[in-house]
Amino acid sequence: MDKETKYEVAYNELQGIVRKMEGEEMDIDQMAEGVKRAQVLIKLCKDKLTKTEAEIRKILAQD
Amino acid sequence: MTLYELNSLVREAIEDSMAREYWVEAEVAECREARGHCYLELIEKDEQTATPIAKASAKCWASKWAVVRPYFERTTGQRLMAGTKVLLKVYPQFHEAFGFSWIVTDIDPTYTLGDMARQRQEIIRQLKAEGVFDLQKELTLPLFCQRIAVISSETAAGYGDFCHQLSNNPYGFQFETWLFPAVMQGEEVERSIINALMRIYDQPFDCVVIIRGGGATSDLSGFDTLVLAEHVANFPLPIITGIGHERDECILDMVSHIRVKTPTAAAALLIEHLKGVLDGVEGAQERVARAAQQRLAAVGYQLTALEERMPLLIERRLLAESHRLELMAEKIKGLDPAIMLGRGYSITLHNGRVVRDAATLVQGDEIETRLKSGTLHSIIRPPLTPPISGGEIGGGTP
Repeated sequence: MDKETKYEVAYNELQGIVRKMEGEEMDIDQMAEGVKRAQVLIKLCKDKLTKTEAEIRKILAQD
Repeated sequence: MTLYELNSLVREAIEDSMAREYWVEAEVAECREARGHCYLELIEKDEQTATPIAKASAKCWASKWAVVRPYFERTTGQRLMAGTKVLLKVYPQFHEAFGFSWIVTDIDPTYTLGDMARQRQEIIRQLKAEGVFDLQKELTLPLFCQRIAVISSETAAGYGDFCHQLSNNPYGFQFETWLFPAVMQGEEVERSIINALMRIYDQPFDCVVIIRGGGATSDLSGFDTLVLAEHVANFPLPIITGIGHERDECILDMVSHIRVKTPTAAAALLIEHLKGVLDGVEGAQERVARAAQQRLAAVGYQLTALEERMPLLIERRLLAESHRLELMAEKIKGLDPAIMLGRGYSITLHNGRVVRDAATLVQGDEIETRLKSGTLHSIIRPPLTPPISGGEIGGGTP
């Protein structure tokens, strides 16, 4: 999987969890799982926004 | 007659017979400046075959050029150069030593503008016919659009502004920009930008930003070519243009994914885009927490309500059960034969079995009658009178 899609997938999964939780499609156990998963995804997305990976620099600096 | 004398005749003839100014339409074939004067080669081509059918040199003296040039460039957004169609005000001059030349006293930029507009319309028509005009509009910026390929001139102030704004955004977003230097004015624009796009093509960028520093209006005609428009339109990554100019949008703007006015506006757009994503993430965070709290609260409320109702439910149930038991006891009590005997009823037995019908007995049968207290023993005797209905109770004789 492409690295970029990984984050977009994470973002979309997060929105899906929100919808399910608000739609009361989850029982209490699933709810707890959802909250835990959401926390992981939120951290992943926020880190992506604020932490540089200097990817391009690595690739193009070789030229 | 000397050559000088002959040339003088030509000069006089021209000065006599053409002693006025003319407006002439022509195409610039060459244009160069020297010591403030402008030297032009004018040309007229056959419309069908494009072969030159007229040529002439023209000059604009520095005193005029200093006035005419800024007006022309400000109005048209481009410099005089090869290929420009112009409407010039000229008068003829024949110099014995330098030959024939038209002397330019004015240029009408609206004519050039009209010609440029026609050319642009033609290019737009062609791009639409090729089906590529809207291709960039169909792309979307990736959510995490942080790897930015920048096409600009290295020295442009606009590039510096762009980078500064991106790296000093208030949300702490990290962008990675990489400059692909290109010539941003004059005839080199097309080739230079296309080269940059080709270098970007197979690198992992999220989008391309083409920016040009502000400053004085200068030559933008390079952004209006068909070939450049085709390259931009067909490019697989979204392209944002911020080439800042006063006149109508150029074709590059029209085919790009998003156009903004300035490099800073391009940076602002990228920051806003990430802000949208951040809002989505933080919104999700809040909504997840709220949904979980509400759900827990709802479950807790149900439990409390149940807890409160429990004693009442139990009490009600107990009451109902004890009532039922009482009724049953009542019923059972009513069935006890001792009560019937107490009211004066008796039970008659024959050979230990209850007698319900007098006809089952014959004369001489011995019967036993149980009362509330005590038992009678009797023998059936012959009837004196016909038997009285129900007379067997108490009908015996001791």
